[in-house]
Amino acid sequence: MRHRVAVIFWLAVGAVPAAAGGDVVLQGEYIFRAAGCAVCHTDEKHHGAPLAGGRALKTPFGTFYTPNITPDPETGIGKWTEADLARALREGKDDEGENLYPSFPYTSYTHLTDADVHAIWTYLSGRPPVHQKNKPHDLPWYLRFRPLIGIWKALFFQPGVFQPHPDQSSAWNRGAYLATAVSHCGECHTPRNALGGLERELNCAGNRDGIDGAVAPNITPDKPTGIGHWSQSDLAEYLETGMTPDGDYAGDLMADVIDDSTSHLTKDDRLAIAKYIFSLPAVENEIKHEMHPHKKKKEKKENYE
Amino acid sequence: MQVKTRSVLAIGTVLAILTPVLLHAAEPEDIIKYRKNMMKAIGAHMAAAGAIIQGKVDYKSQLSEHTNAVQALTWDIPGLFPKDSDFGDTQAKDEVWSNRAEFEKRAQTVKVRAEAFAKAVKTGNPQIIATDFKQLGEGCKSCHDDFRKKEDN
Repeated sequence: MRHRVAVIFWLAVGAVPAAAGGDVVLQGEYIFRAAGCAVCHTDEKHHGAPLAGGRALKTPFGTFYTPNITPDPETGIGKWTEADLARALREGKDDEGENLYPSFPYTSYTHLTDADVHAIWTYLSGRPPVHQKNKPHDLPWYLRFRPLIGIWKALFFQPGVFQPHPDQSSAWNRGAYLATAVSHCGECHTPRNALGGLERELNCAGNRDGIDGAVAPNITPDKPTGIGHWSQSDLAEYLETGMTPDGDYAGDLMADVIDDSTSHLTKDDRLAIAKYIFSLPAVENEIKHEMHPHKKKKEKKENYE
Repeated sequence: MQVKTRSVLAIGTVLAILTPVLLHAAEPEDIIKYRKNMMKAIGAHMAAAGAIIQGKVDYKSQLSEHTNAVQALTWDIPGLFPKDSDFGDTQAKDEVWSNRAEFEKRAQTVKVRAEAFAKAVKTGNPQIIATDFKQLGEGCKSCHDDFRKKEDN
């Protein structure tokens, strides 16, 4: 039984896409893209250098400025070892053992496999170093004590590598791994409690107070309030081109996710993510949103009154 | 003066006086509703075209109707966003007006690609059609990315 689980695990989760052909750097680039690192760690709005950080992430707790993750020895992570990166991703700690704020979604990255962490490290350490000092976060005084994050972690952080489900198909497990460990969909699409912890029973049911004020819709397969009226191939298509079944096109932050991350996945990986998402419990949670079918009907009625 | 000329003068004068009344500025809410409907119409035709191109349905003869519709509806997108139509139940970001040059550039890209897509359909070449459709969609997304907000209204 354990042998079968191990086989399924490595086939489903540790699988290197055929295109990468086993090359660690290529695998690293693939997972790096899928994990969306560049989206947060590059200040695209102000034409910042790739991965040099400085992008503002406005949250209900203050504004975070992403750090420089280029291998610059002075201002980036040039002095880090692979173990340091693994600790950041798995435990949410920097190279000095200090807690990292969970605006860095180690709550998801903790599930990455060792092979993928190693691949990310190999790819990342080969990036061009950029000399750019980190901007300090803009937080209220009571949130500036990093040891306090330890309490948050005790309440809301469950570290550990992804465990495949032996009763699910390899495609489902691949999708579950990608969605929960890599692309971390739930970090944006799940509502959070007052302390910023994810409300796990409402996994992917939408968040009105997303990053930068963006509204993240309910992506559970609930028909009236989620994406239950989509098909799995609709979702896979959306992750590739941004087109919804209504011919609408993603905008705002999700467009960035599609452009920089999900559109670069293989077709199979997008279908796997869709398979996983559609297996989530349907949660009824209405998020007012332009894409919402109910709202569309209401508006149509108004126009003819 | 001949009767005809007098009538024309009379009607002309009346119209000249009434023009400011007849062409009073439309309410922003109505402009917003109008352009939302326009966008939905574009979306509906894009979805329909996509379904045909991907072979999900077999209404190939209707493809050109959709591409013609998209071409017509994307003819003047900036015109749907006149000055002072930023107030109300709209998802248009302020940048539509504060960064007008870039906004108009994106709208122009979409217009050009919609034309190309309509032309591609006439060739009947499935590869060109699929590519131009994808390109057009990317044009839509590019504008939405920076000029449409997904905020709770």
